[in-house]
Amino acid sequence: MGSTYAIEANDLRRTYRARTGWLKPKRTEVEAVRGVSFTVGRGELFGLLGPNGAGKTTTIKLLNTLLIPTSGTARVCGHDVERETRAVRRRIGYVFGGDRGLYDRLSGLDNLRYFAELYGVPPREQKRRIAELLDLVGLAGRERERVEGYSRGMRQRLHIARGLLHAPDVLFLDEPSIGVDPVAARELRRTVADLAAAGTTVLLTTHYMAEADELCDRIAVIADGTIQALGTPSELRRRADGRRVVEVEAYGVPESAVSALRDLPGVRETAVEARGALQLLTVHSDAHVDVQGDVLRELAGIRLGRVDSREPTLEDAYVAIVSAAA
Amino acid sequence: MLAVGTLLHAKQMSRSPFEVVLALVVPVVQATLAVYLFRSGGEQHRLLEAAVGAGVMGVWSSVLFGSGGAIQNQRWQGTLEMIMLAPRRPVLVILPITVATGLTGIYALLATLVWGHFLYGIRLDFAHPVAFVVAAAVCVVALGLFGLLLAATFVLMRNANALANTLEYPVWLVSGMLVPITVLPSWTSPIAAVLPTTWGARALREATSGGPVWPSVAVCLAISLLCLTVGALALTHVERRARAAATLALA
Amino acid sequence: MKTLRLMTVGGVIAYRALFNWTTPGMFIGTLLVGPLFQLLFFAYLGRQLQVADDRFYIVGNAVLTASLACVFGGTMAVANERRFGTLGHVLLSARSRTAIFWGRVLPYAGNGLLIAVVTLTVGALLLGLRVPVRAVPGLLLAMAAGSLTCGFFGLTLGALGLRFRDVWVVSNVSVALLLLLTGVNVPASGLPGWMRAVGEWLPITHAAEAARRIAAGDGLAAAASPLGQELLVGAGYAAAAVVLLKIFEVESRRRASLDAL
Ligand SMILES: Nc1ncnc2c1ncn2[C@@H]1O[C@H](COP(=O)(O)OP(=O)(O)OP(=O)(O)O)[C@@H](O)[C@H]1O
Ligand SMILES: [Mg+2]
Repeated sequence: MGSTYAIEANDLRRTYRARTGWLKPKRTEVEAVRGVSFTVGRGELFGLLGPNGAGKTTTIKLLNTLLIPTSGTARVCGHDVERETRAVRRRIGYVFGGDRGLYDRLSGLDNLRYFAELYGVPPREQKRRIAELLDLVGLAGRERERVEGYSRGMRQRLHIARGLLHAPDVLFLDEPSIGVDPVAARELRRTVADLAAAGTTVLLTTHYMAEADELCDRIAVIADGTIQALGTPSELRRRADGRRVVEVEAYGVPESAVSALRDLPGVRETAVEARGALQLLTVHSDAHVDVQGDVLRELAGIRLGRVDSREPTLEDAYVAIVSAAA
Repeated sequence: MLAVGTLLHAKQMSRSPFEVVLALVVPVVQATLAVYLFRSGGEQHRLLEAAVGAGVMGVWSSVLFGSGGAIQNQRWQGTLEMIMLAPRRPVLVILPITVATGLTGIYALLATLVWGHFLYGIRLDFAHPVAFVVAAAVCVVALGLFGLLLAATFVLMRNANALANTLEYPVWLVSGMLVPITVLPSWTSPIAAVLPTTWGARALREATSGGPVWPSVAVCLAISLLCLTVGALALTHVERRARAAATLALA
Repeated sequence: MKTLRLMTVGGVIAYRALFNWTTPGMFIGTLLVGPLFQLLFFAYLGRQLQVADDRFYIVGNAVLTASLACVFGGTMAVANERRFGTLGHVLLSARSRTAIFWGRVLPYAGNGLLIAVVTLTVGALLLGLRVPVRAVPGLLLAMAAGSLTCGFFGLTLGALGLRFRDVWVVSNVSVALLLLLTGVNVPASGLPGWMRAVGEWLPITHAAEAARRIAAGDGLAAAASPLGQELLVGAGYAAAAVVLLKIFEVESRRRASLDAL
């Protein structure tokens, strides 16, 4: 236990080899993680952000022993993840989003009982620990129902309870807030923050920027299998310094208008997001150039809603980092 | 409509390597079992009869597990609801499935005979070759129609497989596919008399080793037509019941 | 002590989680009525062909009926993890894989024993076979040995299921092959040499032999050698299952071959 870091990743790489086609087998290789290095201190809450397919889940599976790195090394609590699997597994918990990964036919309670057994919770403590966790995730009272009848959010909470059964030193949370309602998500964030405050190291991936901003001590943005940026939320936000963001609500913007916006002087990025009938246009520009007038001129003749010019948020910084990588 | 449906389902089944392998291997095993049993019993001369019996057993298994399995799979894939939603009579929808299982069953019969011939040198000299072919065709259709009646139950039951697993051996036993019904306790004979499998197996046996084939074929056909009518009525009723009891979707 | 708890408590919970046939309808239909008719079918067939006497068929088939629950159960005990997406979480356990998976076999073996006892009792009553009372403990022992061996055999198949998607085919074919190769229905003397040789390595073959000797009133001593052989075969499959599971686990970490979420 001499290590000062809870997690050390050293130039981790992972290549997936897949065979597609049956008659004419074609080998495809996906380099999911290409040289990721970072360290997480004990009790730190570390966030991994990145677009779909960036390699976040793969990174987590490399760290929690489910996958062996193609090259590179990693240590969890000072134990090598490739060879000292038992020592690592005793100290980690793993929670992932989605509704698979539970025994549907068993009750929530029995699921926890079984994994308590597997994860080596001493028999005398099991009962108390399970009751405690059911309370914590708000499933107390429903624990005797079969999991097949649980809603998505209830399953997600059960996942979290399972991950905490053996009071792990290091907790891997892979999109834990998927499918959880806003109130429960807030509770979840409080739980995670409490755990970290009590000394648990947490590695969290999420697609919700606000969640990452609120919780994480440090954040790594990963895209295309490499870390594009690493720092505290406020450091990352500074990545978008020198920028200004104009948001325009519009109805029926043609593709040509969007590309015209991109070519305006001073504009760095544009993004369009459909929100029901309306579209939300986001235009990043250099802070010293006021592009709002130009933007509105380009959009002349299109029905517009609210127009807003603001300071960049973490989400804007994230967009800037990721689109710079692309 | 019926033909297209049957073809489609036969195709769907042949796509699943699971069913193909089972259909390939199990008849061989059954033929082997029958052959060695009859040999051990010193009944060399009845080997052909044994192979035919084993083949009919295969047809029955195919129909039983085919209908049960098809309905269960459709339930799992969520297509059972879509099928029942089709603006057609439920019979026309389900019948192709069960007839297709009968058709794959034919294969079991043929495979048993072919393997019996090549592996164990059984001579394929039928007493009435033409009658045998007709009887085989009738038998398969009859079992397919009987399958329809079963399917009506399967649609309603959540665990169609349970019934299928239960019914395999009893029908083999009671309809005299390998064991003559005369050696069974007498209370089984009324059951045997109403099962189309009994008459189909009997017709095939008579065509193999001699006997009046046509009466059995006629009875078999008559019973299977009855099955069709009852099955059609039952399906219409069952469709309503299933909608009320919400068993279509859940696995 | 802790390992024992993992094997028993864990095994029972896993049985409830992974066995498909625990609903009453499934249990009675598939595991009790079906096997009973299987026994009757072969007993009548044997009677008619005069291959062997009732005792041969009833006792042998009763031992064999355990195979259905055990082989399929053992397969489900591993292969169904895929269906629920739980394998990753099980593999994250720091505890002995051997204890986890061997423990899972125990409930299926118990289940198989129950089936064998029920079919033997009902079959003997229906067909009028008299079994001496003092043979009962020995019979139970033989059936238990057969069930346990079958369970480990199923576990081996289940382990293969981690690597090959269609294990159910293998299980189905195995169950059909057991009918033929174990010498339960065709006396071993009637089978060609190579089939007999394969049968020697399958579960049930020796257990059925032992059970027949015991039912004939020969006493435990006469059955000791086949019983020992049965247990040896079982131990072989138990070891094979653990080795396969180990190999596939290592391989899955390297090749991401399990969708071990
Ligand atoms: N088992 C696998 N076999 C082959 N390729 C895989 C496998 N798992 C992941 N990949 C590929 O690796 C890349 C990274 O996937 P990964 O799951 O790590 O992404 P992610 O960052 O977690 O994305 P998301 O935000 O969607 O969860 C993707 O291109 C994916 O297609
Ligand atoms: Mg992911």
